[in-house]
Amino acid sequence: MSGGVDSSVAAGLLLEQGHEVVGATLKLWGGVSDSGCCSVADVDDARRVAQTLGIDHHVFNYTEEFNRHVVEPFVRAHAEGTSPNPCIECNRHIKFDLLFDRARRLGFDAVATGHHAQVRDHDGRHELVRGADEQKDQSYVLGYLNEDQLAMLLLPIGALQKSEVRAHAERLGLRTWDKPDSQDVCFIEASKGREVFLRQRVPLTRATIVDRSSGDVVGETDAAELMTVGQRRGVLPNRDGEKRYVASVNVDERRVEIGTLDEVLVTRIALDESSLSFTHEALKDRDEVLAQWSAHGRVQVATFRHDDACFLELASPARPVAPGQTVVMYDVRQPTIVAGAAIVVRT
Amino acid sequence: MSEQLYFDHAASAPRRDEVTDAMERWQHGTVGNPSGSHRAAREARRAIEEARDEIADFVGARPGGVIFTGGGTESCHLAIVGTTIAHRRNHEQSVVVISKVEHNAVLDAAAFVDHEYDDVEVRYVDVDADGVVDIESLQERMDANVAIVSVMTANNETGVCQPLDAVTSVANASVPGGVATHTDAIAAAPWLYLPTVTATVDLVSICAHKIGGPVNSGALIMRNEVALEALVPGGGQERGRRGGTVDVAAAVGLAAAVRLTQKELVDVNDRVVDYQQKLCAALSFLPGCAITAPAARKVPGTVHVTFEGIASDELLFLLDQEGVCASAASSCSSGAAVASHVLAAMGMPFERARGSLRLTMGPETTEHDVDQVIAKLSAAVYRLKG
Repeated sequence: MSGGVDSSVAAGLLLEQGHEVVGATLKLWGGVSDSGCCSVADVDDARRVAQTLGIDHHVFNYTEEFNRHVVEPFVRAHAEGTSPNPCIECNRHIKFDLLFDRARRLGFDAVATGHHAQVRDHDGRHELVRGADEQKDQSYVLGYLNEDQLAMLLLPIGALQKSEVRAHAERLGLRTWDKPDSQDVCFIEASKGREVFLRQRVPLTRATIVDRSSGDVVGETDAAELMTVGQRRGVLPNRDGEKRYVASVNVDERRVEIGTLDEVLVTRIALDESSLSFTHEALKDRDEVLAQWSAHGRVQVATFRHDDACFLELASPARPVAPGQTVVMYDVRQPTIVAGAAIVVRT
Repeated sequence: MSEQLYFDHAASAPRRDEVTDAMERWQHGTVGNPSGSHRAAREARRAIEEARDEIADFVGARPGGVIFTGGGTESCHLAIVGTTIAHRRNHEQSVVVISKVEHNAVLDAAAFVDHEYDDVEVRYVDVDADGVVDIESLQERMDANVAIVSVMTANNETGVCQPLDAVTSVANASVPGGVATHTDAIAAAPWLYLPTVTATVDLVSICAHKIGGPVNSGALIMRNEVALEALVPGGGQERGRRGGTVDVAAAVGLAAAVRLTQKELVDVNDRVVDYQQKLCAALSFLPGCAITAPAARKVPGTVHVTFEGIASDELLFLLDQEGVCASAASSCSSGAAVASHVLAAMGMPFERARGSLRLTMGPETTEHDVDQVIAKLSAAVYRLKG
């Protein structure tokens, strides 16, 4: 129970379905955040929701593990010029690993979360399916889950629209019913942003911005680590007025390359073979998939290649994908079903 | 629902019926403002002064030295911040010396003056592996600029007692004319005879709810006159040291609690020290269990242990399911168990400290409770050790 409306309602619905429910809030970030030190305001909301529902509530401290598995890798990756998704790392290492282990040890049959996604039984196997609310679908951040994890997971609000979730919260008298959705990385203060967070932890690198086609130096950035491959925001258009995109970031060489859309488009996304994860059996070389590489990004038809190299061949060119991002692959025949996931590497 | 086994007296002790009865008169109807002059005011004032006499007696100080506060945290804050501000008035530099194992009431008060005033410095005294202050370390941190030295009487997490006489003698010898000394006696108050134990300390903090009294009620007791600036000057109550109308019920409740504690001190100590030994003996047989500071002098009510390879969160969850109210002894504002600064100062590795469990007892604890908690704790540990 994060203290948001989704997990609040998830708990309420489970209770109504007759489950024996205990609320747990994970204390993940020990520093200052938008909801106060140790996210105390969110914990208070979660606790109050549990009280309203009449269930026990516990706060589990995973601060150390969160630092080790999420925050430190996040900082390290930026220092190397890559862009990890901390929410996915948190799901992989904390929520669906450590918390699941703990739940088993403490005698629980299942763990439920308030994610907008669905777990479906299919021929005795479990499938991860997109949430019913397309705008809120979170199957992307759960793309790494395997059969064992899905078997223990309940997603009570996955079949609901967000408006229905809020209506349930209001009906149940939960104080979170009109609480705004959280958007950002939980350990970074919105008012200060990623830059301030990183500056406090690593030296940021001044770099030249080079036009890819002409090789001309067209500008400078005082933090190459904050430039993300594929981004347009903050990249000045050239004199011709045409938009420019970040094509590559090389922190060691202090060099950021930009180009016009045509110049930066790619048809190949290299995947880290060791990061491959499949819900059930592995995808085979030349299998068709629908690939998605940001939380609410569009899907692209692609061919999964796993031969000498591991990569995706895109059916049509796309803006480059930043190394460190996760690609979730959906089943091309049943486009709402997750087949697997992998991390993008530099090509 | 399983029977409740309350082993968290150090967090908050069960309210004593005698306390509730004593407070009852002051919880409804007309309660005069003790600063007034009419009959109702005089009645209220009389109740407060009677309470003051009893509290002074409990600590072995003069009644005029008792300052009623809104609890232990405020008492400690007033002691540290009040003396530091007073010291700054006629010194160029002010140093606050505290041990590394103080309660957050003291730690955060010290951090506050450190942060707030450029001419204030806080120095932290090391402790040994048992959590006992290292007198040499104290000596090294002393100089003529020290405004106040604060070392707790007994630690709230581990129950380990501090050598206050040695602390005050080193402190006073280091500053010409002596130095203000304070002790947070909150964790010690249910167990130790404070007139003797804190005899050499100038300022003593106590609070009511750790001894069966109400929350939001405490006192800072000034045994020897030290310069202390009021943090809330208000209407000049409490001899100008703490403004605001004194809560008669809270003062009367605190007095009733100290009266009972004093009366039962020897009996409760005799009984609970046996429980402490029984618990320690039983727990030491559990896999991965280590008694914290096994050879140190401790208050009888506290049993602090760590379990190797077990997270406090999980142990506390299973105990809670069985009706056992216990604690990991250190938690943050979110309610999560956090790494203990006390255990860290003792040099305990984090991996070990994260398996902390504190069981604390009081006058109500029975041998049956102890046997039950041993059985339930054993079951939980074996379950987690799988």
